[in-house]
Amino acid sequence: MMSFVAKRVLQAGLTIAGVLTVGFILIRAAGDPVALLLPENATVEDAARMRAALGLDLPLWRQYLSFMADALRGDLGMSFRQQTSAVGLVLERLPATMELAFAAFAIGVILAFGLDLMLRIAGSERLRKVVLWVALTRQAIPTFWFGLLLILLFSVTLRWLPALGRGTPAHLVLPAFTLGTYELALYLRLLEASFREQETHDYVRTAYAKGLGRARVMLREILPNVLLPMVTLAGLNLGVLLGGTVVTETVFSWPGVGRLIVQAVSQRDYPVVVAGVLMTSLIFVVLNLVVDLLYAVLDPRVRLA
Amino acid sequence: MKLAKHSRFHLDAVLGSALLLAFLLMALAVPLLPLYDPYEQDLMASLAEPLATSATRTYWLGGDALGRDYLSRLSLAARVSLGISVAAVGISLVMGVALGLIAGFFRGPVEAAIMGLGDLQLAIPRVLLLIASAAVFGSSIGMLTLLLGLTSWVTYGRLARAMALSLREREFVLAAITQGASSQWNIRKHLLPNVAPNMAIIASFEFGQVVVLEASLSYLGLGVQPPLPSLGLMINEGQLYLEINPWISILPGLVIFALVAGSQFVSQRFTPESRGDGGLSRVPTV
Repeated sequence: MMSFVAKRVLQAGLTIAGVLTVGFILIRAAGDPVALLLPENATVEDAARMRAALGLDLPLWRQYLSFMADALRGDLGMSFRQQTSAVGLVLERLPATMELAFAAFAIGVILAFGLDLMLRIAGSERLRKVVLWVALTRQAIPTFWFGLLLILLFSVTLRWLPALGRGTPAHLVLPAFTLGTYELALYLRLLEASFREQETHDYVRTAYAKGLGRARVMLREILPNVLLPMVTLAGLNLGVLLGGTVVTETVFSWPGVGRLIVQAVSQRDYPVVVAGVLMTSLIFVVLNLVVDLLYAVLDPRVRLA
Repeated sequence: MKLAKHSRFHLDAVLGSALLLAFLLMALAVPLLPLYDPYEQDLMASLAEPLATSATRTYWLGGDALGRDYLSRLSLAARVSLGISVAAVGISLVMGVALGLIAGFFRGPVEAAIMGLGDLQLAIPRVLLLIASAAVFGSSIGMLTLLLGLTSWVTYGRLARAMALSLREREFVLAAITQGASSQWNIRKHLLPNVAPNMAIIASFEFGQVVVLEASLSYLGLGVQPPLPSLGLMINEGQLYLEINPWISILPGLVIFALVAGSQFVSQRFTPESRGDGGLSRVPTV
């Protein structure tokens, strides 16, 4: 067990170092920031002084080392536009993004389980096909366009829900539904496959032999065994959700990290762009690690392999 | 019964490929079609609804905010978006297959380096990696295509490597090696033909994903730049006028939807349902 944890943590550490390196490459490739930062009437000496202050006159490998050292202390540079740290700006927006991502995650998982159990108890193959077809159709619709259609229907036409911004729980409904339904088809298929696999096991036959009803066998016997792969998949996809928040936040003017990144791009505020991308990726890597470790705790076969 | 089921699945694939082919042909034929100038502005036709008419002509799909003929813009947008997506899929396909086969055939440090790069890329959500690199490297059409291609090779690479790992132990490859065949010859003549069908399946699925990625970037203002139209950009432009003329945002979205659905139909036809992982091996991107 310990060697599994150590190996997995080391791997995550390497990935984080790699992600930070990508960040360094991006920020260097963005070009000399001095031209962006100084006023137009600055002299050549001013520029040289600023370069020295930012450490840009050092050889590249020393810049890389100091970038990595700063990053490990949680410093990814200052915003070009606002006189605060880029990491601080991202942290300010993080709660909004987390709120959206978790709400979407919950909607996706609850919808999938609810629909699957209903279909299972109803036992109609045709109905299942219809539901899966709807879910697949949703998957073929780009997230940002789906969000717009929802705005058009529920905000512009029916005037039931607010379209833009964040504040009341009503503001959360449309963006979370937009994002949360994207992977419904994937969840439904996984549930179907896991249920089918579980149904072949002896314990299910035993349960039926004891005279338990179909609904009871589904809910009390099989469901707990299906939860594990489902939660794992959904947990890993939380990272995909984090990527999806960028577009969703822009559609609904949701004040999260994604919107911050997009706004920072248009202002050429590269430290904020890179900080946003890096921190989102780091959350993704850490989530992957946590899910893997949890899985090993819950299922001994994983850590023995 | 069995036959009916089989032929129904077939219908999906036929419909999907017909859809994709029709769009590709239309996109190719756009310059030949009798369309109005997509850049000509006519303020009288600003935000006109579909089928609106003026004294001299009909705006079949209406006009955009600047009164440019919407059908012409949409056709050009489809051409632009399809061109970028097809080229990007081509780049990622070639790159992924080449890197994957090299990694799987040679193994050792080469494999570790290539697959490590792939893992690293997967650690950064694809949309974010694209946004950051488009911000830094600019978003000319060529750069956009290149970036889309470079960020999408990993899916091909992983499967190509996995298949190469088992193919390199097979007798026909070993026999060729004992007879002095070069590694390059073996990869080209023995590995490539064996992985090609699977790579084509991934490409048919990835095509839809890349269309959406390109549209997302352009929607965010980081992809195709005005006045050139693209599907995502047009949806963005229409968002402001959702209450006045929702068609401006709806129509390009329908085109994207048709392309993605077509790509899913085709790829699903060739993906065995019986694999039992519920499509797990292919976690979609947003």
